[in-house]
Amino acid sequence: MVSQRMWREHELKDQYDVVIIGGGVHGLATAYYLTKLGVKNIAVLEAKYIGFGGSGRNTAIVRSNYRTPEGIAFYDLSVKLYEQLAADLDFNVMFSQHGHLTLAHNERGVTGLTERANTNQLMGVNSRIIFPQEIQQIVPDLNVFGHSRFPIQAALYHPPGGIIRHDAVVWAYARGVDRGGGHVHQKTEVTAIEVQNGQVEAVDTNRGRIKTKMVLNATAGYAGLISRMVGLEIPIETHPLQAAVTEPLKPFLNSVIVSSTLHVYVSQTDRGELVLGAEVDDHASYSLRGTLAFLEGAAIHLLELFPHLANVKILRQWAGLCDMTPDYSPIMGGTPDVKGFYMTVGWGTYGFKAGPASGYLMAELLASGKTPKRLEPFALTRFYDDCLVGEKAAASVSH
Amino acid sequence: MNEQLSDDSQATPVTYEFEFDGQRVRAESGQTVAGALHSAGEHIVSRSFKYHRPRGLLCMSGRCPNCICTVDGTPNVRICTQAAKPGMVVKSQNAWPSVKFDLLRIFDKLHRLMPVGFYYKRMYKPRWMWPVWEKVIRRIAGLGKLDRSHGADGVYDKQNLFTDVAVIGGGLAGLHAALAAADAGVSVTLIDDQPALGGHLRHDPELAESRLNELISRVASHPAINVISSATVFGCYDENYLGIQQGQRMIRLRAAQVIAATGCWERPLVFENNDLPGVMLASAAQRLLHLDKCRFPGEVVIVTDNAQGYRAAKQLRAAGTRIAAIVDVRDNPPESLEGVRRFLGHTVISASGSRHVGGVVIAPLAGHPKQTLSCRWLVQAVGFTPANSLLYQNGCKLRYDESVDQAIVIQHAPAMHSAGAVNGLHDPGNAAADGQRAGKAAAEALCSPCHRVSDPPAENNLEIPRHGGHKEEESPPCHYVAPSGAKKKFVCLCEDVTEKDICDAIDEGYSNIETLKRYSTVSMGPCQGKMCQAAAIAICARHNGQSIAETGVTTARPPEQPLPLGVLAGRAVHFSLVRRTPMHAWHEQHGAKMGDAGNWKRPQVYTSVTQEYEAVRQRAGLIDVSTLGKIELRGRDVVKFLEFIYPNRFANLKVGRVRYGVICDDAGIILDDGTIARLGEDRFFLTTTTGNADAIDSWFRWWLAARPQWDVRLTNVSGSYAAMNLAGPRSREVLKKLTDADLSRDAMPYLAASEIQIAGVPAIVLRIGFVGELGYEIHVPAQFGQHVWEAILEAGREFNIAPFGLEAQRLLRLEKKHFLPGVDTDALSNPLEADLPWIVKLDKEDDFIGKRSLARSLQRGSRNKLVAFQLNEPIVPDLASLVLTNGKLGGRITSIGQSPAAGGTIGLAWIPASLSRNGDTIQIQINGRLVDAVVHDEPFYDPSGEKLKS
Ligand SMILES: Cc1cc2nc3c(=O)[nH]c(=O)nc-3n(C[C@H](O)[C@H](O)[C@H](O)COP(=O)(O)OP(=O)(O)OC[C@H]3O[C@@H](n4cnc5c(N)ncnc54)[C@H](O)[C@@H]3O)c2cc1C
Repeated sequence: MVSQRMWREHELKDQYDVVIIGGGVHGLATAYYLTKLGVKNIAVLEAKYIGFGGSGRNTAIVRSNYRTPEGIAFYDLSVKLYEQLAADLDFNVMFSQHGHLTLAHNERGVTGLTERANTNQLMGVNSRIIFPQEIQQIVPDLNVFGHSRFPIQAALYHPPGGIIRHDAVVWAYARGVDRGGGHVHQKTEVTAIEVQNGQVEAVDTNRGRIKTKMVLNATAGYAGLISRMVGLEIPIETHPLQAAVTEPLKPFLNSVIVSSTLHVYVSQTDRGELVLGAEVDDHASYSLRGTLAFLEGAAIHLLELFPHLANVKILRQWAGLCDMTPDYSPIMGGTPDVKGFYMTVGWGTYGFKAGPASGYLMAELLASGKTPKRLEPFALTRFYDDCLVGEKAAASVSH
Repeated sequence: MNEQLSDDSQATPVTYEFEFDGQRVRAESGQTVAGALHSAGEHIVSRSFKYHRPRGLLCMSGRCPNCICTVDGTPNVRICTQAAKPGMVVKSQNAWPSVKFDLLRIFDKLHRLMPVGFYYKRMYKPRWMWPVWEKVIRRIAGLGKLDRSHGADGVYDKQNLFTDVAVIGGGLAGLHAALAAADAGVSVTLIDDQPALGGHLRHDPELAESRLNELISRVASHPAINVISSATVFGCYDENYLGIQQGQRMIRLRAAQVIAATGCWERPLVFENNDLPGVMLASAAQRLLHLDKCRFPGEVVIVTDNAQGYRAAKQLRAAGTRIAAIVDVRDNPPESLEGVRRFLGHTVISASGSRHVGGVVIAPLAGHPKQTLSCRWLVQAVGFTPANSLLYQNGCKLRYDESVDQAIVIQHAPAMHSAGAVNGLHDPGNAAADGQRAGKAAAEALCSPCHRVSDPPAENNLEIPRHGGHKEEESPPCHYVAPSGAKKKFVCLCEDVTEKDICDAIDEGYSNIETLKRYSTVSMGPCQGKMCQAAAIAICARHNGQSIAETGVTTARPPEQPLPLGVLAGRAVHFSLVRRTPMHAWHEQHGAKMGDAGNWKRPQVYTSVTQEYEAVRQRAGLIDVSTLGKIELRGRDVVKFLEFIYPNRFANLKVGRVRYGVICDDAGIILDDGTIARLGEDRFFLTTTTGNADAIDSWFRWWLAARPQWDVRLTNVSGSYAAMNLAGPRSREVLKKLTDADLSRDAMPYLAASEIQIAGVPAIVLRIGFVGELGYEIHVPAQFGQHVWEAILEAGREFNIAPFGLEAQRLLRLEKKHFLPGVDTDALSNPLEADLPWIVKLDKEDDFIGKRSLARSLQRGSRNKLVAFQLNEPIVPDLASLVLTNGKLGGRITSIGQSPAAGGTIGLAWIPASLSRNGDTIQIQINGRLVDAVVHDEPFYDPSGEKLKS
């Protein structure tokens, strides 16, 4: 096989039509779809290397079994785009749709999941409540009937859900941008954004100044800092989210298993590693250091679900930064306060799965100046109008 | 690691047998499994991850992936640090049918079809192919197998320790550091991962000064030094919080100062077939010789660039092995070995043999001319990788220093130090001196006013000439890698990543060391880069035309060594917290069906919901509400604090009165509800719901922390009080029998709060009624809970009182339209929409939490509302059924029940505000059918509240 370069290094031009800050899935996907719409004089600026942020640190769960009709419709679009993505980008992003199970261990949990199943079905998303017998059939190794402090009572079963090779998605989008004529600049950090008379005019970087009338903030955990560069306060608090991976084991677990009661979720990659995680750390912070408390908690809870794993070993733990909004839904669009400043942020613990949909719709917005209908519920102004899209129940432990 | 190894130096050998892949193998006590296999001539112990190539012992120190086996059911165990035990069952992994003969070796021949990252470029066209391929991949992926016969039943424990100075590593530097610090008068904890102290001197006896044993015994007997052996520091977390694994035990150690004297390990050379069994690190050969008492039959070729190679050669020769040749990378080495053929300025180009080394090809560094040497072992001593991951983890800054060919600390993290080989000081004398220096420095830092003093950059400590570690003179271009274009030159043994793979990946654009890692998977396997990171970086640097320093390193992440989940979990899995109320035993004796409410166990029902309902509505009932959160607030500024926390008013709450309150967050969202009783001018007693007891406690403390000038003292008394609700038309008569206090309506009206004696016990009694009847919430010291509970039931016997559970309570409150936070409300519910507009006092002068949001919400009007409804049909739908408007989602049901008072099914639901007037009809989806329901403004029971206030 002739090896082909994925992306090239370019000189930084002194003018771009659109400057996208952040080389994660959101920045790159938006750039890719922009090139498809014929907007090619664009640059993605990444302070470190592409995938340095959440897009290289996430646990790659993709699903659309959300709670609100707005959320469900949006994430469903993303799942459908992901299904086509390997063909579209000509790169195997290894989307394995082996199903996603959210467990309920108490009555309140069952109620919450039932409500989601009902709403999902109403929106045409494949999702239903199943009970212990069937759960055990789908996940033979799960402790469904054995001794347990909080026995499993039911699960929300979402067959199209699964995991994806997150790095592959990032690289393939970057290649798409490159082939489409856009520039991907790594090791290029934005240090300031110039605004004159309420209009974005330029960005400053460690490699020089770039004139541009349009900037997209796609920096996830750093979104608040970038917004502040134009004097905009957004309702985002950055919290670390941690995850860990075990040594590879012969695959025995196909579905993604999530338990909010036990604050843990787990999946097994095609390499055989178990990937586990929990909720965000309590306290706001920009620290990328993991904690021992996370590992201990995750181990305790995972062993409740899979007692046979006691002698399986953790290989490494890590943390990423999550840009949390009050309603656990993203902020996409512009702002009336600063013309030319757009954002796709607030992706919190759940934004990887949304890359294709948000990229696709944001590109449409940037190219046409008109907000696509499906983006409307996620405007920044919803916080002023008190019109939130409440996804906390569906997104705090399942990402 | 090394959990069961003991220092065997004095033990008399005892032999016993264990099993390896069904065969019996003899072992001497004190031997590792790997050592015993070596002695038994079993040299293929595993198969590689991707190509299923045979692999044998390489590092003998638990760092490489080559000897990973399943031991007594535990997958992925490194048998080189696992003591052999009688009857042990060891199985090889990742091979079919067997490790000796593995059919999947075919992948090795097919390597051309599987270049780096091939799986990203194949198998996805057409779309349905990927799931098919994935099934195949999942069949061959992974290493060890999950052992289903093992549960979380091992004996694990956890220990918490504190120390002034933690010294990590019991080699020469660590021993000296520990002594120096302890002699300076501070307490020291010395942690070492080997069964005995001494570091690499244990298996390199020539280096060990005669005083080593004396040094060790001084350390071991020093009263201020605590030695923890066979224990691995796997993580160095924020503020010098160390995670340590010692067998099945996890130790959490808080240290004021940390000294990393973690040493280094040998790194392998990258040449063709460098993964063949028989290719070994010199330190591994020495370990096998000296610690496992093994022999090396056949001839050995040694490739080296340092003194260690010569020592290993001498020791091997002394043990009866013939040294075929020493291949020295250097042109003018200071060392020599009499009677041994040497090739100077040469290196190894490839090893030959299909299942074991049969010979090696060597050549000058330029690559030719080549010549072949036949041998059975290739022992390599070509330099070291410092064990610096704990330094990185703790935030030290390191920079690659060419003169020592390793990364050196340029800035230490606060209260952290490093000493010895990890600082580039490999010579014993220098390492010892550096250890003493670090020990003193740590002790001094402790005594200095600012404890966070840390080591100066290690560079500064390196005035002492460095040698022994690596070549002093010129650095040849990347001699980690043999000069040849061969394909099978393995860099990463865990993942079968070759030099060519790395170069190809860089050519494809993955030139950043982090992207390179993720794409090629180099260093992502079980060894986490211990064996390969140095070479990978060197190759990456060379191929990018950068320096090693510019190339950087990938982030070091805990754990330093793979860590079992069982050790991390400890016993918590087996003893999950269960909270029981003081009346728990009584409930169980009286047949209550118990249910979980968070960690609590609570009675759901004793007899039947109908019977319990009737008792409360017609006579009297008693429910255990001890699980409520209870908080006492005292101080001059409590009123100010309450006014700030709650949207409603408390300034006008009189002593002896109780008021209902809802707590909102900044966005005006309901967090919790409860009651606030004023027991004295500056003394308040608050309750929270069961589920939010901890959250509200932290919420209060969070806001108080920012207001230190306020005189508010918070005591969480949740566990100190038992609580019960006595409710029903006869409850006053019941209670009267147990107290002298005046319970009359005038003396103790609705919403009175008083402290009186009940059944001889001091109690806080609140006249409130969640279930809508004349009622008393009684809080008594927990130890008297059951006494008061029984006394009330006894007193109520003549009225036919009954205990009631949560299920009856839920129905009773539903008839009163009382919502439960978290059940009927969610993360978007504010009190205006949750039918409690009266509770929000926007006219309060001062700010309160959520004020701005609630004002805005009031201004724009409600979009959704929480309403009560009655169903038009006699069915009880599932909770969470949807309310539909024109086929679209309009809302959802949050509570449902069959109400005797209403004579039908009633419930609470969130619906669009436009449909929320009394008498409006809404449609609920039940089993795919739409059923009408009517919105109901008033409570279904006692709408005027007469009974409640009677
Ligand atoms: C542990 C963990 C698990 C997760 N699990 C899931 C999951 O299972 N499913 C899911 O859907 N989501 C998950 N997420 C969330 C998901 O990772 C993120 O929402 C998503 O990756 C965000 O992508 P992004 O492109 O917006 O930002 P990122 O990928 O974070 O990229 C932002 C980039 O901006 C760059 N940047 C910052 N400041 C500047 C500057 N001044 N100049 C230039 N560049 C800058 C950063 O270097 C970074 O690379 C998880 C997150 C974490 C941390």
